[in-house]
Amino acid sequence: MSEFFNAFTSANMGYLLGGLGITVGVSAISVVLSLLFGSIVGIIQFEKIPFFSSFVGTLNNIVRNLPLLLIIFFTYFALPQLGIHLPIFWATVAAMTFFESAMLAEIVRGGLEAVDRGQFEGARANGLSNMQTMWHIVLPQAYKKMIPPIISQLISLVKDTSLASGIVLAEMTYRGQIVYAQNTNYIIPVLVVLTVVYFLLNYGLSLIAKWFDKKLA
Amino acid sequence: MSMIEFKDVQKYYGDFHALHDVNLKIDAGETVVLIGPSGSGKSTLIRTINGLEEIEEGQLLVDGFDLHDPKTDINKIRKNVGMVFQHFNLYNNKTVLENIMLAPRLVLHRDEAENKRIAMELLEQVGLADKANSMPAALSGGQKQRVAIARSLAMKPKALLFDEPTSALDPEMIGDVLDVMRDIARDSDMTLLVVTHEMSFAKAVADRVIFMADGRILEDSSTEAFFENPTEPRAKKFLSQVEHH
Repeated sequence: MSEFFNAFTSANMGYLLGGLGITVGVSAISVVLSLLFGSIVGIIQFEKIPFFSSFVGTLNNIVRNLPLLLIIFFTYFALPQLGIHLPIFWATVAAMTFFESAMLAEIVRGGLEAVDRGQFEGARANGLSNMQTMWHIVLPQAYKKMIPPIISQLISLVKDTSLASGIVLAEMTYRGQIVYAQNTNYIIPVLVVLTVVYFLLNYGLSLIAKWFDKKLA
Repeated sequence: MSMIEFKDVQKYYGDFHALHDVNLKIDAGETVVLIGPSGSGKSTLIRTINGLEEIEEGQLLVDGFDLHDPKTDINKIRKNVGMVFQHFNLYNNKTVLENIMLAPRLVLHRDEAENKRIAMELLEQVGLADKANSMPAALSGGQKQRVAIARSLAMKPKALLFDEPTSALDPEMIGDVLDVMRDIARDSDMTLLVVTHEMSFAKAVADRVIFMADGRILEDSSTEAFFENPTEPRAKKFLSQVEHH
């Protein structure tokens, strides 16, 4: 049992929690970018522009059916062979953004389709252009409905950053592996710490989701 | 001068012939009521006038614009032709006052103080000035419809289309909405086209009644002539059904 507590040296914990910064950094940047790109792609799919929308929809379908780890391998190992060299942090951000944008686009498209047709007709008959209708009437109503599924998708995003341990990004899970590689007795304590930190991070996010849900209901 | 003119208009939904050889002329300032059994094409017809439904053949001139011409900017027509819907279609995310002020602000670029003054005047007119800051969800059906009418009027349109404005309302709400519409018909020189089942309203305010069935206009006569002596057997049958209802 003393071996269990021996794992909690300040060096080990400092190193482990240093990975938290990278996990949060990758997550935060990917969240912002994938909300932006996911919205654009979702709106394109919703607008049913001839050919373009179905082309984007097909691409989206392909991306959503790939494992994220494969995309991470692609941006880190394959892109350099095509002449695009991304540092490991940004290769992870690029992969996460690519994958999460596709997931969020589907949520955005669904949210837009859930807005009553009458809202469009009321606005268009009132003289508003399609853009004005989307911006002032439809998108605000759609995003209100989308907040809970978007946040649950963001929780998966935070968890999925651990996949970047597969390309040796020094995020939290990878650092955990480094720590318990010193001593196998550290496996359980390290995993306990990781469990607590991931839980707190994501439970915090889900509390925010609940708060929004209540406030907007 | 005619405000709305249909010339040999055809409209299909797939194989279904929704509007059949429609020819119709409505002059500026006229109040016309459009009646007929459900599925007769009344709503389809009224919705072609502001381009919510497209026509497949023929010519449809509204305020001088040809709706079947791809070069026509539909927003120019909608600026001058308002519509009131069966299900109100108020903006759920905006207050009553914002519902009325939004289009004049975005489309007409009306001065903000002037916009608010006009909106409040209209709310006064439909008897809902005290609801200016309410959200639509807090209103009854009849109140929503009166706000929707005020929203259309705020654009100062040349024509106003009513698509079964009282059909979704509880019976005790219908009177207030019809009163507002009756005042508009009496006091304004707007062209009004009303799809309705309210025969007493039609008798009281319409200059003309058009009867449709199966996507065709079967009768188009003055209000007195229509109610006293309908020529079409189907119109007679329809009238006896709704009047004994």
